[in-house]
Amino acid sequence: MNIDLSRRGFLKLAGAGVAATSLGALGFGDAEAAEKAHVRAFKLASTTETRNTCTYCSVACGILIYSKGDVAAGEQATIVHIEGDADHPTNRGTLCPKGAALKDIVHSESRLTTPRIRRPGTDRFDEISWDEALDKIARALKDDRDANIVLKNDAGVPVNRWTSTGFLAASATTNETAWLTYKTVRAMGIAGLDNQARV
Amino acid sequence: MTSTLKPDPSMIGGIAKVPLARLPDPRVLFLTRAQRLGFLAQHSANLAAYLRFLSELCEAQARLVRALPAPAALSQDQLQAARANRMPPMDRAALRAELTAAIDLLPGLLAGVEMPEPARLGLAALAAAEASDRDWVIGNVLADTIPDDSAAPHLFAALALQVVASRHAALLHVEQLVAIAPGLCPACGGRHASSLVTENIGAEGARYCACATCQTLWNEVRVKCTCCGSTKGITYRSVETDEATVKAECCRECGHWVKILYQNKNPSLEPIADDVASLGLDLMMRDSEWRRGGYNPFLAGY
Repeated sequence: MNIDLSRRGFLKLAGAGVAATSLGALGFGDAEAAEKAHVRAFKLASTTETRNTCTYCSVACGILIYSKGDVAAGEQATIVHIEGDADHPTNRGTLCPKGAALKDIVHSESRLTTPRIRRPGTDRFDEISWDEALDKIARALKDDRDANIVLKNDAGVPVNRWTSTGFLAASATTNETAWLTYKTVRAMGIAGLDNQARV
Repeated sequence: MTSTLKPDPSMIGGIAKVPLARLPDPRVLFLTRAQRLGFLAQHSANLAAYLRFLSELCEAQARLVRALPAPAALSQDQLQAARANRMPPMDRAALRAELTAAIDLLPGLLAGVEMPEPARLGLAALAAAEASDRDWVIGNVLADTIPDDSAAPHLFAALALQVVASRHAALLHVEQLVAIAPGLCPACGGRHASSLVTENIGAEGARYCACATCQTLWNEVRVKCTCCGSTKGITYRSVETDEATVKAECCRECGHWVKILYQNKNPSLEPIADDVASLGLDLMMRDSEWRRGGYNPFLAGY
């Protein structure tokens, strides 16, 4: 509290000198007390607004995700609304119809949330774990690469070319992710690399 | 006839860059605020007396706008020096003389306003104060500071300063201003009372901070602390419902919270009037880990 003792005369004249809020100091202490009693029955609701990038296309519009609850305070959060981010230089708050419907994608019952596999000879998809899925993908890539990689061309020049597998990278990535993707894919010898961000 | 088609992205509707600031119109602003306070008084049984009193004070501010002589605009040199050095163009220290004259007019303008004894005493003390005491009060309000022990006389001085500063801000042009720092008004360098999510054409969903002193609104990125500029750990608190139109924007980095008013949900929200009318949120936030970061002379001590 800051009380300036050299102002004692003035403060006495102003009927002041005791720490009070504007309401107390102006003579509305009763109103303040009544409001204080009134809110005692209420609880504070927590909400969060989170910036993100739309998942759909290469335009990479900025979005604001509104959720109930505060994860950082150890609460569960559920998304209640998604809208365009007015501060984002790409879309300045606007969204296309697909982006405007993002919340329905998040909560859609048919949304794919785990890897699935359609095994040979069956007519349906079965859920599998991420570990199992990644192992299967790695195995298939390795087998295909071992069988089909071209190490040298007809003239005997080393080319390390793997043309039987292609790679499509995602659009909602940073420059750094895109760089790593390029290096990883090219290091394996994959010739057919394309990116959704080009589409 | 052949014509060449050229792309012109600026023609795509609604994708406009929002203006850095919106300067006040003091002739309208204080009357609008008075009306809003009067309306809110009808809907808040507990705070009605205080809101009605503030409504009358804002009407007196509107009369003060008309009573004061027209201020002089800043010179091009002053404006350019401020721009070049990323400083607010308005020099608060230079407002002292005008503010003193405005304070002298207050007792006359407020003569018909009914007020409780402590308020009347505060006003009388300010009017009768010795030069050194008055300079002290003026220095405090010019620095956006209200001492805990004398909110009443400071409130009246702050009222006069709002009028004086807003009339100077009204003479500026938006293109003369530059963004200075988070939580600093680009016109007068002052602190904000609250911030608004607007829904005006060309600024849908953009957030503006409302200067408590010169009444300028300035653009600030959303989901960012308006006190320290951090975008980490921002969270919102509201009374009872998550669909509230007035929320507390809390920052875990600097420990402050500032009210954010969702004008896109309720266009009548007014940055100062609704800041006072949502006192319940302040009372509840007092028990939280955060401290109030918004500056409003009508809510000193929170």
